[in-house]
Amino acid sequence: MPKSATDIRHFIIAGVLVAITTVLLDLLLKAILPMPVQGSHQAQVIDQLTSWHLTLIAFLFSLVVVIMLYSLFVFRKKDGDESEGAHFEGNTVLEIAWTVIPLIVVFVFGFFGVRALSDVTRAAPDEITVNVTGFQWSWLFEYPDSGVASNELVLPVDRAARMDMTSRDVIHSFWIPEMRVKQDLVPGMTTTLRFTPSVTGEYTVDCAELCGLSHYSMVAPVRIVEQAEYEQWLAERTAGTAPALAQTGDETDADTDVETDADAQSN
Amino acid sequence: MTTVTAALEGYTQQLRNNRMGLWLFFISEAFLFGGLLVTRFYLWGNTRPELDQTIGLIVTGVLLLSSFSMNMAETAIEHGDRRTFLGGLAVTAVLGLVFLIGVMVFEWGLFPAIYEGHLKPGDNVYGAVVFAMTGMHALHVISGIIFIAIVWNLGRKGGFSPERHWGVESCAIYWHYVDVVWIFFYPALYLIGTVAH
Amino acid sequence: MTLWSLGLVRGVVGQIVGFAAGMALVIASRLLFGFDPVWNQEPALVGGIIIGSIGFLIGVGALTDWFKWMRGIETPLHHGPPHGRPAWTRYFGVDYNHKVIGIQYGVTGIILLGIGGMFAVIFRTELAASGFQFLNPSNYNTYLSMHGWAALAAILLGIGGMANYLVPLMIGAEDMAFPRLNAFAFWINVPGIITLLMSLNYGWDGGWTVYPPLSVLGPVGYQFTFWAVFLIGLSSILGSLNLIVTILRMRPPGMSLFRMPIFVWAVFATSLIQLTATQFIGQAFLMLSFERLLGMGFFDPDKGGAPILFQHLFWFYSHPAVYIFVLPGLGIISEILPVFSRKPLFGYRWIALSSIAIALVGFLVWGHHMFTSGYGEYLRVPFMISTLLVAVPTGVKFFSWLGTMWGGKLSFPTPMLFVLGAISVFLIGGLSGPILATTATDLFLHDTYFVVGHFHATIFGGFVFPFFAAIYFWYPKITGRMYDETLGKIHFWLMTPAFWTMSLGQMSVGVMGMRRRIADYDPALGVEFGHVLVTIAGFTIAFSVLLMIYNLLHSAETGRVAGNNPWRSRSPEWQIPSPAPEHSYASPITVVGEPYDYGIPNSTYVHMAPLAAADD
Ligand SMILES: [Cu+2]
Ligand SMILES: [Cu+2]
Repeated sequence: MPKSATDIRHFIIAGVLVAITTVLLDLLLKAILPMPVQGSHQAQVIDQLTSWHLTLIAFLFSLVVVIMLYSLFVFRKKDGDESEGAHFEGNTVLEIAWTVIPLIVVFVFGFFGVRALSDVTRAAPDEITVNVTGFQWSWLFEYPDSGVASNELVLPVDRAARMDMTSRDVIHSFWIPEMRVKQDLVPGMTTTLRFTPSVTGEYTVDCAELCGLSHYSMVAPVRIVEQAEYEQWLAERTAGTAPALAQTGDETDADTDVETDADAQSN
Repeated sequence: MTTVTAALEGYTQQLRNNRMGLWLFFISEAFLFGGLLVTRFYLWGNTRPELDQTIGLIVTGVLLLSSFSMNMAETAIEHGDRRTFLGGLAVTAVLGLVFLIGVMVFEWGLFPAIYEGHLKPGDNVYGAVVFAMTGMHALHVISGIIFIAIVWNLGRKGGFSPERHWGVESCAIYWHYVDVVWIFFYPALYLIGTVAH
Repeated sequence: MTLWSLGLVRGVVGQIVGFAAGMALVIASRLLFGFDPVWNQEPALVGGIIIGSIGFLIGVGALTDWFKWMRGIETPLHHGPPHGRPAWTRYFGVDYNHKVIGIQYGVTGIILLGIGGMFAVIFRTELAASGFQFLNPSNYNTYLSMHGWAALAAILLGIGGMANYLVPLMIGAEDMAFPRLNAFAFWINVPGIITLLMSLNYGWDGGWTVYPPLSVLGPVGYQFTFWAVFLIGLSSILGSLNLIVTILRMRPPGMSLFRMPIFVWAVFATSLIQLTATQFIGQAFLMLSFERLLGMGFFDPDKGGAPILFQHLFWFYSHPAVYIFVLPGLGIISEILPVFSRKPLFGYRWIALSSIAIALVGFLVWGHHMFTSGYGEYLRVPFMISTLLVAVPTGVKFFSWLGTMWGGKLSFPTPMLFVLGAISVFLIGGLSGPILATTATDLFLHDTYFVVGHFHATIFGGFVFPFFAAIYFWYPKITGRMYDETLGKIHFWLMTPAFWTMSLGQMSVGVMGMRRRIADYDPALGVEFGHVLVTIAGFTIAFSVLLMIYNLLHSAETGRVAGNNPWRSRSPEWQIPSPAPEHSYASPITVVGEPYDYGIPNSTYVHMAPLAAADD
């Protein structure tokens, strides 16, 4: 082991260890943070950015922890050694370096962050508009173009959807994990959320903002279907065969309500 | 070092601490009043409620006048003139009370038997903000009047001297501060924006 | 000695009497102003809360001297334990010595941390499996919300403890600038805590953020929370004012700002935030209270109000509040590292200024909590960039700590272990920040357990671990005895891996789709295993903390006598006897060197006598 704290060999060894740890940690992080199905175009953008963030986290974590652990082992006090450490009070070049380099990284990530944000919020032509109303503790989806109202959200795959949302009572939040994006529903105003589903399947929209007693169960079914199936569903609905809707917040168990509704559909 | 000079040095030290403490308190309070102004501009934007302009003008004038009498009282004790000092304090307190009556009886309509107010806190966002701003300010005026009463009482019993009158000084600065806050509140409530109906 | 001679007992009695009087007052004035009906539970209770708190302060004696001043009676400062009563009783009443007040803050903080932690353990156990085991959604929500404010209040008290005990000692001051205000600022917390605990009786379900309209529509327990937070906030403001004056005005000759112990810088930065931003939460909570009482429509859209305004006011305090919580802890890390590295603090000025930078930038970032709130979309980008910028001064601290350790002679007693644990945990918290600051990724992660993992790591790394490090480190100075090193190390080796597991577990279930603050979850999410791990980790942490409390109590009697300076520190408080005497410094001290010049033979930081006396 080199004796002097400024010996170049220390830095080489530590650097190699940091590199190895970064790779391992990157793999580990992505293993313990499994994202749900990548169900929308927005999800691709967000997952890409997430992946870069995780790699950066892996590198910075390794950088600090490896150097710290290296110091703990290499520079630990030997038994009976009462002498002091090497006396250096700082290094202005280093301080400037680790101020400026992170600053650059911040702006790089800021740039990609802004780009990703504009990607996930961009309006597309030919959007399907759904008016979403949240109330304690259920959801109502209305399709203004066809006059259909439902407790289940049905959308065609690969077509931009736009949720115009409001709340009747307290703040709720619209979140389909597979679509990634999320938006609050605020009483007294209309908020908008856009996403383009890319994978057919059955999901749920969950309320992500604490909204009282049954917040945990403020969940509604979501079906992403082919365009034809979507049109058929709309047609059935317009024909007036739909069951009664959960309209008020009086039911404490919104879950059952929504389930009956969904059952009625599949039968 | 004799005990007398040591004591005096201790007093000067403490006085400087006190002054800094008081100004820090004002900085802190500025955030409170600033928060109320933020609320006002967030909720009202470029509008304002229909308030009684005459009452607004009168209470503002009264409060400005009270700063003069307060200044007179403070200058008097610096020169050892106890009569003017006590008189100035009394005038200030009375003007403060007039201000309070103007706000609470006439703007708020606290005693409908005397005067029916035209705005209630629960009406809408205008009532809410008017009552929040004037209420928080009135609370400070009330505590200022209590402060004056205490200082007046101590002064009457021979307390304070030209050399040692931190109680008077802090009371005066506090009063001026509350006054200055009103100078920001008055236009925000009465002047800025167009009347909403 | 009677029970009545304890200030705390008189205070509680005062609060009970005051509570009754306050309720009566409200009923009487409703009668006077012709309100119908005369009996209305909520205003009566609020009257009780307010007058009850004043009753507590009068009963405990925190106002006694000021009442005397109002009548022109001088009140000399009394030093030492009370006459005719055992010395321990001073801790249960108004005492003006900053060391006593520091201990009062610290111990109350630990007790409240225990209460807050207990709530967490209860609902964590519920979450270990999906379905409802022993809680219903109603008390789940209440416990979750109580956990939030109990823990936050505990942190504020813990910080108050460290700052009050250490700052005057570190700058060689006899006491704080305003000893009576100091005692008042501590004691006002106690009725606040009592009020907070009373809210349990009525329940409330909004989480610590208490967003309206939910908090306006919910049960009356909210009122207790609002006023409890208001009282604790008042304590923050007055305490920070006192600390700023003390730091700026009471330093000894020779101690320029850049020769202060680094912890003092951290407290200074924290105090600047506390002094100013706290007003916003006080005001916001008052507005909520009055919206409930008088129907004032600040946040009610039907009356032209805006629910989002509350979020702005709330986060303008509550984001900087995070820096209130962590800056002192980061100061503790910077303070202890050089001692056990036997090396100067690397880049002292940079660390000092980074605290101030974090405090200032912290005022410009509150909107990152509101990316999904529905505020103007144009606000998202500036808040994203300003938030990412916080990484820069925070990074400076991490790198400077590495520079401090590099090439040192490191030893690892318990306080050092907790400092290293703090660095690792705060790193997890810090590094999980930018992904939340970046709006696009936050749209996914907001209000998930990932956020829960992020801020618990931030707060444990920035407060809890350093707080424990500080307790172990200054324990010999406080009690004169050493804690049990083996138990301390067991505490560390239980708590640290458990916390890592908890953090990663929370983040993992969050990414998988687990929302925050839900009483029950869908087993189909596949997060049950993660929750079991987190719950086990939670129990381990709780157990390890109990071990620490046992260690602290037990060692106070049986520990090895520590001596003046067991850590060979240069800081002034270690140059005086242990436990620190009533008057910390027999004579005023003079600063003659740099605080962290370890490694320069025969250099010292302070002269234990005034410069004039040292010369002759
Ligand atoms: Cu909801
Ligand atoms: Cu924040």
